[in-house]
Amino acid sequence: MTHGLFPTQEIGSLAKPRWQILGQRSEVLDGPAKEELRDWDARVGFAKEAPAVRDALLGGRPRETGPEAVRDLGALFGLRFLETAGLDRVYDGEARRIEMYEYPIRQMRGFRFGGHVRSFDNKYYLKATVTDEVRLDHPYHVDEFDFVKAHAHAEPKLPLTGPYTLADWSYNEYYLARQPGWKGRSARRAAQREFVVDLARRAIRPTLSALIDHGCRVIQIDEPAAGTHPDEASIVVDGFNAATEGLDAEFTMHICYSNYADLLPTLLEAKRCRQWAWEFANRDTAGHDGYAVLKTLAEYGDQREVGLGAVDVHRDAVESPETVADRIRRAAKYLGDPGRIWVNPDCGLRTRSLEVARAKLESVVKGAAIARADFENPRR
Amino acid sequence: MIVRTGLTGAFPRSEALVSATRDLDRGRTTAEAVEEIYARTETEVVALERRLGLDETTGGYLRWPDLFRPFAETWEGFTVGPLTRWLETNTFYRQPILLAPPGRTPGAIAARLPPALLRSPGSSRVILPGPYSFALMLDNRSGETEPALIHRLGRLLGDEVRELRGQGFATFLFSEPQIVVRPPEGPRAEAVVAGFRAIEAALDGGTSIVWTYGADARPAFPLLDRLPVSVVGVDLAETEVDQIPAGPSGRGLGLGVVDPHTTLEEDPAEVARVVRAAYARRHPSAVFLGPGAPLDLLPWEPATRKLHALPAVRRALTEGAP
Repeated sequence: MTHGLFPTQEIGSLAKPRWQILGQRSEVLDGPAKEELRDWDARVGFAKEAPAVRDALLGGRPRETGPEAVRDLGALFGLRFLETAGLDRVYDGEARRIEMYEYPIRQMRGFRFGGHVRSFDNKYYLKATVTDEVRLDHPYHVDEFDFVKAHAHAEPKLPLTGPYTLADWSYNEYYLARQPGWKGRSARRAAQREFVVDLARRAIRPTLSALIDHGCRVIQIDEPAAGTHPDEASIVVDGFNAATEGLDAEFTMHICYSNYADLLPTLLEAKRCRQWAWEFANRDTAGHDGYAVLKTLAEYGDQREVGLGAVDVHRDAVESPETVADRIRRAAKYLGDPGRIWVNPDCGLRTRSLEVARAKLESVVKGAAIARADFENPRR
Repeated sequence: MIVRTGLTGAFPRSEALVSATRDLDRGRTTAEAVEEIYARTETEVVALERRLGLDETTGGYLRWPDLFRPFAETWEGFTVGPLTRWLETNTFYRQPILLAPPGRTPGAIAARLPPALLRSPGSSRVILPGPYSFALMLDNRSGETEPALIHRLGRLLGDEVRELRGQGFATFLFSEPQIVVRPPEGPRAEAVVAGFRAIEAALDGGTSIVWTYGADARPAFPLLDRLPVSVVGVDLAETEVDQIPAGPSGRGLGLGVVDPHTTLEEDPAEVARVVRAAYARRHPSAVFLGPGAPLDLLPWEPATRKLHALPAVRRALTEGAP
């Protein structure tokens, strides 16, 4: 698919609407949930595509429809929400997903969940141990993608958690035990590489392959853990290369809240990565140019696309379209090529209200249009 | 070889405590009911520490949301800031924001210690942030320079130690990951030494342990060797034993031999081999064995299981058991 200058795309999950959360639990919608459903239906037009589900929810009969149909409606909502905001590449707002670690791991064998780890305060998460060779039960996200593909008007793009992040968020027992002698730094590093590459080859690649067979052409591999251990950038690369080896699709890599310069130039060895989708806006503050790291990318002569995080997903304040346009102009200057820039939010917008998320996406689209007009009509 | 063992940071919360604290946040239980579970779990941690023959008990510091929060919530000049990543992990702490030069609130930290410790202070290990890590991991808006802040925090922690010594506490572990993650140089390094001098002056015959983790300790050894402390600890999951500088240290050597980054249980014979190798390089007055970093990177069950390596290693080292 060809695009003009500064096409726009989604990057991750949206907040779940209240009507979806209650509906999935087969609970009768309260007043605010009904109002939310009606309001967003009026604005983005999704519920009319599944009138029986809508009527059951609004009529106080959630059991008539069942949780799966409500999830479908949630996915339709996410899709239309992103499409009517004007994005060129969309997904479903990850409407069926709750998180990005446990679900993929539960589609595999070789892991054991062994209790909760505190994330902070009284918040915890389940962390699995790899106790055997990784094996895939069955490719995942395929049904989810089929639904999006069947209903999308814009180009679909599927996000999937990458092998390095899945490994980094797990305990490595099986591969570490295979290392001889003391399990110190070098043994841990070797075991991690083996784990990541095995995950990539045995679980992620077959899943990607199945998705591609179902017509998925654009796949975003999410590696938020990549920046946590900059000295393991070569393992991130090995995982990415093993996961995508021999596959024909447009692969992008999303990393956020990292010091990207620390990952360069090693990261550039990710052979089949066509686009770096990184967060920048969060660090673009008064007195600090959040896009300056793109100069480093240019200095290495990297010619790939950049998915430019142009709005911050951690603040409610909505960036103006002119701010977005200014960020695009700066990025184009640093890269020396406006034709390689896609524009998107920094990361998933799930921590923002739907209202704020929508306003930020509209700014992305309008800001891209302003910058596009500048570049296409420079004397205007 | 004199071998001592003990925890080096917070212990994980039990699954019962996880459920209770979650329920509290969701309004499904009462603070009183959760307090009962805290007390019961602390008792379990102390019982585990005693059963495994650890030389001091900690109670696990289960109520501390993170290493700095009791200070950020009770000392003058602080407020509690945003969630911030804890070193290279997928866990977070709330970064203290320092708005003015800090001041101690007498009695505040003692009141936050696990109650089980207050009943037997002489056999307890108090775990506190080290002045350097504290200074680096907060958001300093006080106007004070970093070296001045490091030194000041050292003096304040010294005052804390003095107060706790008065209550009978004798062993203090200072959690200092940043000394190896971002080894200080120049005025910052001098401030770290001065900060620990202030702590040492308050010790009055007690034991001070500096515990480092999060990175290879090798580059920091010149500074670590200058610190006026009883024990310097390094995480052997990060520092290769043959990289520990040779030469007699004349003080205790802490070795992190239980790795909280993996659920894989340590092989006591292999640990004993590595400890002997480290001992031969440094000839310390004693070796202090413990987890390389706080065990709360693990869930309760594997943390409990892995801790059993410590008595087995001690036996291997002192009795020649396999």
